Amino acid sequence: MSNKRKSISIVGKGAKVGVFLCTCGGRVSSKIDLKELEKQIADNSMVSHVEVIPYPCLAPGLDIVKDRIASKGLNRVVIAGCEYRIMLKKIEKELEASSMEKGEMDVVNLRDYVAAVNNGDPATLALKGAKLVNAAVAGLFVLTPSPKTKIGINGPVMILGGGIATYSAAQELIRKNIDTIIAVQTEDIEDEIRMLHERYPGEREYHDRLMKIMEEVDQSPLIKRVSVGELERVLGVVGNYTVTFSSENEKPPLVFNVGAIIAALDGEMLNQGSDFGHDGTRVLCHTEMDEYIWLHGVPPHRIIFWVNDLETDRPYAQLSIRTAWNMARYVRENNALSRVSVLYNNRITLSLSATERGQARNLGIEWISYDGAIRPTVQSGTITYYDPDDHIEHELEYDQLVLSPKRHPGIEQLKVAQILGLHVKEDSFLERNPQMVRPEQVGMDEKFLAGSAYRPCDLREALRQGRRAADKTADIVQLAKKGELYAPRMVCTVDPEKCLGCGLCKEICDCGGISPVEGQGGGIPRVVDPMVCTGGGTCAAACPYQALVLQNNTTEQREARVAVLAQSLADNEVMAIGCNWGGTAAADHAGLRGMPYNERFYLLPVGCIGQLDPTVMGRAFLEGANALLLIGCPPEECHHSYGVDHTWSRVLLIKKLFSLIGLERDRIALAHADFNKPDEYVKTVNSFISRIDQLGPIQRDSEMKAKIQDLYDTLKNPRVRWVLGASLRRPWETTYPADQRNAMAYDETLSDVVMEEFIRTRIVNLLKHKKQVINLDEITHALGEERRKIQSCLTELSKEGMISRIFKDRMPYYTIQ
Amino acid sequence: MSKTKKKENMIHFTIDGQEVQAKEGWTVLETARHYGIHIPTLCYHEAVQPSGACRLCVVEAREGGRSKVVISCMYPSREGVEILTDTERIRNVRRWILEMLLAECPASKEIAQLAEEYGVKSTRFKSEDPEQQCILCGLCVRACEEIVGVRAISFGSRGVSKHIATPYMIPNQACIACGSCVSVCPTGAMQARMDKVRGDVSQRTGHGYAH
Repeated sequence: MSNKRKSISIVGKGAKVGVFLCTCGGRVSSKIDLKELEKQIADNSMVSHVEVIPYPCLAPGLDIVKDRIASKGLNRVVIAGCEYRIMLKKIEKELEASSMEKGEMDVVNLRDYVAAVNNGDPATLALKGAKLVNAAVAGLFVLTPSPKTKIGINGPVMILGGGIATYSAAQELIRKNIDTIIAVQTEDIEDEIRMLHERYPGEREYHDRLMKIMEEVDQSPLIKRVSVGELERVLGVVGNYTVTFSSENEKPPLVFNVGAIIAALDGEMLNQGSDFGHDGTRVLCHTEMDEYIWLHGVPPHRIIFWVNDLETDRPYAQLSIRTAWNMARYVRENNALSRVSVLYNNRITLSLSATERGQARNLGIEWISYDGAIRPTVQSGTITYYDPDDHIEHELEYDQLVLSPKRHPGIEQLKVAQILGLHVKEDSFLERNPQMVRPEQVGMDEKFLAGSAYRPCDLREALRQGRRAADKTADIVQLAKKGELYAPRMVCTVDPEKCLGCGLCKEICDCGGISPVEGQGGGIPRVVDPMVCTGGGTCAAACPYQALVLQNNTTEQREARVAVLAQSLADNEVMAIGCNWGGTAAADHAGLRGMPYNERFYLLPVGCIGQLDPTVMGRAFLEGANALLLIGCPPEECHHSYGVDHTWSRVLLIKKLFSLIGLERDRIALAHADFNKPDEYVKTVNSFISRIDQLGPIQRDSEMKAKIQDLYDTLKNPRVRWVLGASLRRPWETTYPADQRNAMAYDETLSDVVMEEFIRTRIVNLLKHKKQVINLDEITHALGEERRKIQSCLTELSKEGMISRIFKDRMPYYTIQ
Repeated sequence: MSKTKKKENMIHFTIDGQEVQAKEGWTVLETARHYGIHIPTLCYHEAVQPSGACRLCVVEAREGGRSKVVISCMYPSREGVEILTDTERIRNVRRWILEMLLAECPASKEIAQLAEEYGVKSTRFKSEDPEQQCILCGLCVRACEEIVGVRAISFGSRGVSKHIATPYMIPNQACIACGSCVSVCPTGAMQARMDKVRGDVSQRTGHGYAH
């Protein structure tokens, strides 16, 4: 073949890889010649042991694997059988006893990527299998396992934010025997009860119980209550936080070292303003009514509670119904002369229990539903509504009309959340949808949240949230006390030598695991909290200086994998990389359904498509791939933060570089796959292959080879990576990069920067290869670029000291030391 | 030295006349698979604990002149027992099971194919739902709990109205849309049901605010 490739140049560090091939009860062995496959893999110098086992996933097979680990001294295991998504966890658990750690094992899906979907003679399919297995082997071969990190919780638990959930959380921590600091802005417990109705109206009958909780907390020797000013700064990671509060009278700020943080934050209730006739006396909101009753007693009035949340587009009608019910009951129980009705939109389902309905009947509380399509009108002393049954407009008289409040997380509370490192959206409560990854991949929410700023709720729910947050905190504190709290294996770490503290990672990280370390000049470098990181790794792939590393699942490993696969592929074979949740899962599903597709398709799995550094994509082409398809989740469905979107930007960068070196941009593409639509996945695969077939292989003459090397080196350029980083979608953004403001202007800037840095890389690479000094004309001729551009690059490069300029016969010549 | 020691711990018995050796803790099914002896299964998956729900993996265990029908996925290997996987008695039990399954889930291609292998072409039982594909083996429920670590799906109701569902029959936030349940499902039931479990994923990926 015309394109002779370099031999594999991969260095392992004491890795001994064992490969176990599964017959899968004939589902693999009937299609693939496993003897041939075994022979192929035995030829791989990276493999120390290879063996065919009927079922390496069942007890008899696992016993053989364990035996080989012990007798052959293996420290990496590849099992070639079925879905790693399903099987890896069991294998990890079983081989734990053989002191194998997560990340040191891999499963290659021969059944679904080869046997079930490809037809061909068993020896040919064995060759395909060998290529996939060897790629997985290479990934493990270059792995340097990180040491196990034990997490210690150094210091007490701090509850801050001043929400009422503080006390239920503290009570729970007392029961778990854990030292706690309560940081509040008030001096006295009484103060907190006094103002509570502003946050939780209509729940005074609960206050006695709350007082008991507060007293228990107050008297406990485990609890230290401190009066603080505003929260100023939180630094550190789980186990070691430094929390700084401002203090009054120009005293030095209060600083605490704590092990864990619980934030109890209460949202605010705002009045309706002048809407709906609100005047604060006759037409008023829940909090105002509560205060009125407290000051003046229950009035002998005709009171109407109008649950008008749906009219203001707020989704908390159920909560307002509860509050209205609580207050209505209180009013009727305490003044027999009062008359109470609750008016509610008929689109709200009443969440009253049978007992409560009975109570309402006995107390004579009227529940009136109105047709939600027509908005009731408030007038002086009357409110009109439209009856959904008889379609007649009715009038109700009132002395006092009580409206639902507007709920807001509160400006102060959002500020606290922001200091805690959470991405905060204006007007949005702090609760977020749970991460769509496996529970073991989510470290732990380090800053547990409780209270109505987290999610609108009543008092009881707020206290429950507090107890739950305390419970979770207690779990990790107790694990740490026993010395059994370890950081997850696949989380990011920062190399402080390389990190310049630019903050790009923090901006694009969604899990909130990256925080600054205090240093000169403010927060540099960065540090990752291993207990919060979900191991998505798109931050690591974005780092301009490649200072962030996803441990035990590194870019180096991924490069090794694509390099080995690319070197082994024939000219008409196509490489693809699919994410755990989209591409890989859809491919597994296509295999399960036995949907045949082109056998020239080679899929490598990756945790999230966003983990792919542009250098991994470049490396594939450098090592001989003619095309690369990246298959992620459907748009807006990335299970980690924004992996799919970030890959979109990275693919665009590679396409720009392809244009510069004269390759077809179509050779790399991003695709989306829904795991439950295997038929669409098959279409994607076949369509991409036919597109690439039309292009044919890349003509790799020496010039093209040099250009692809230049492309790869440009991808490592910090300036290019920085400008690319500017376009990566941030967690608070709602659109694709292409829809952003100034998208065109940005794109042009990126093109300019890429072009400039590409030429610079080419010059540097050219000078590296030249033995003697050369002048501008020779460089221009060798590179075939515009003379003017090269000249300005040369001037800059020599100014920066990247190359040296020397004069011969008063003419400038260039070289690299 | 270690070899002789291992031999001592081995349990010796026969499957279909073939002499096999097993270690303490291996089930009959695991041992059979290790020796390449085929036993059909539906609710069994290598990645999760066996539960013995479908009963299709029944085998005949003869011991001391007695014979009984047991499920191989949970039956432990025992010294001297004679296991028969494909006797007429076993085939008859499996035919009964498949006939009931044909009535339970007439829409499943996988069940129809398996039934045909055993010569079962129609069922004498009443079929309730012609669209049904689910055999109610609960493999998806176990996979969700054991493999994924969440409990997004479970059995709803009991007895004849038992079904696989999310709590309150609404899409479940706990579901991470990983597709493990679809991958392990022995029929196409979970694929058809998936959208009702995961809901609109684009509305609730990790980055989204709940409100």
